[in-house]
Amino acid sequence: MANRRVLVKRRKAVKNIRKITRTMQLIATARFQATHNRATATKPYSDKLGELVADLSRAAGDTQHPLMQKPDADRSALIVVSSNRGLCGGYNANVLRRATAHIDGQPDGHKVDVHMIGKKGASFFRFLGREVTRQITDLADDPRFDQIEPIANELIQQFVDGEISSVNVAFMSFESAGRQFPSVVQLLPLQPLEDGGGEGGGKSVEYEFSPNPEELLGALLPASVRMRLFQCIMEAVVSEHVARMVAMKAATDAAGDMIKSITREYNRARQTHITMELLDIIGGVNALEG
Amino acid sequence: MANDTFHCSIVTPERAVLETEAKMVSLPAHDGEMGILRGRAPLLCQLGIGTLRVESPEGTEVFFVDRGFAQMVENKLTVLTEQARRPSEINREEVQRSLEEAQAMDLKGSEQMWDDERLMAIHRARTQIKLKDKHG
Repeated sequence: MANRRVLVKRRKAVKNIRKITRTMQLIATARFQATHNRATATKPYSDKLGELVADLSRAAGDTQHPLMQKPDADRSALIVVSSNRGLCGGYNANVLRRATAHIDGQPDGHKVDVHMIGKKGASFFRFLGREVTRQITDLADDPRFDQIEPIANELIQQFVDGEISSVNVAFMSFESAGRQFPSVVQLLPLQPLEDGGGEGGGKSVEYEFSPNPEELLGALLPASVRMRLFQCIMEAVVSEHVARMVAMKAATDAAGDMIKSITREYNRARQTHITMELLDIIGGVNALEG
Repeated sequence: MANDTFHCSIVTPERAVLETEAKMVSLPAHDGEMGILRGRAPLLCQLGIGTLRVESPEGTEVFFVDRGFAQMVENKLTVLTEQARRPSEINREEVQRSLEEAQAMDLKGSEQMWDDERLMAIHRARTQIKLKDKHG
């Protein structure tokens, strides 16, 4: 019976697929661990940076830094962080949906420059016929700071020159291994520092500043913008690995179920075949005796 | 002297490069070199491009740093920089290439800004080469 051979073949194919998805799941798990460690390693720098900014703005008093003011422009920038590769469940779809919602939510006549990180997002936008200002696909699984820096610097420059009124990042924010959600974060203009929190810390140190606090702040704020962007991208990469891990786990489980049901079907087919042969033989014997 | 050390940490966006007790740290401040010992008054200063030297009881370590900030509070020195490299992490050929690139930058019809960038790139490359040659 040809049916049985087909079933055997299918079962073999599904088993192979399960092997692949299981391996991908393991790889994603390992990558997730590695990138998660790297993402946590960025924390000391950003914490310290935040502390210095708070100290300085207390010392510098009420400064109005250009990075905190919103220029009057009818253009803004949106950095979208998607992945280069697929097979990661709803990861890209979710981020891109959030990003398009952000773009569509702008008032009429406002143009959004899309800086797209990742191949998947770029091809999605091409499919929708939306414009992508710049495409960045050379960020691998472990983005380095010196890759992010030029992107940030360019946008800071555009912002200071008054060409764009704001810079946002759409990415999959990572809260824990069990929870990630797409979000849009405003990078520029910088939100004014919340006064309450800093004062609560209590200890205000009398620093010796070199150069003066205003100048220091002027150098520190761009650094914190660069850091924010770097962290967003790191978080997105961690989320991507989680998403792939979950997707591949689901695929492996589904393949297991499928193998079970194919095996059941195969056994039934085999049994039917045996029964039929037996019936043939019995029928033949009966005919001879009769 | 019972205790003449202070805590020194060097942090980059990617990781903490160094956490140690130090006897003396010499920083490349934006306006010249600056030495720091235990008990220094609180300081917040901007760093330029240059060599950072940490003298700890275990020995001396040097780093190339490319701008950043240093904070000294209560005998804790924190150096925040976007790049801190040990001499062993410097790739001489690569740096040499970027030096040549910087020197070859076309200055015709350029503005001051451009020029500064070029000087900075040259300075950055030269410092790294010097450091590499001296400390391997």
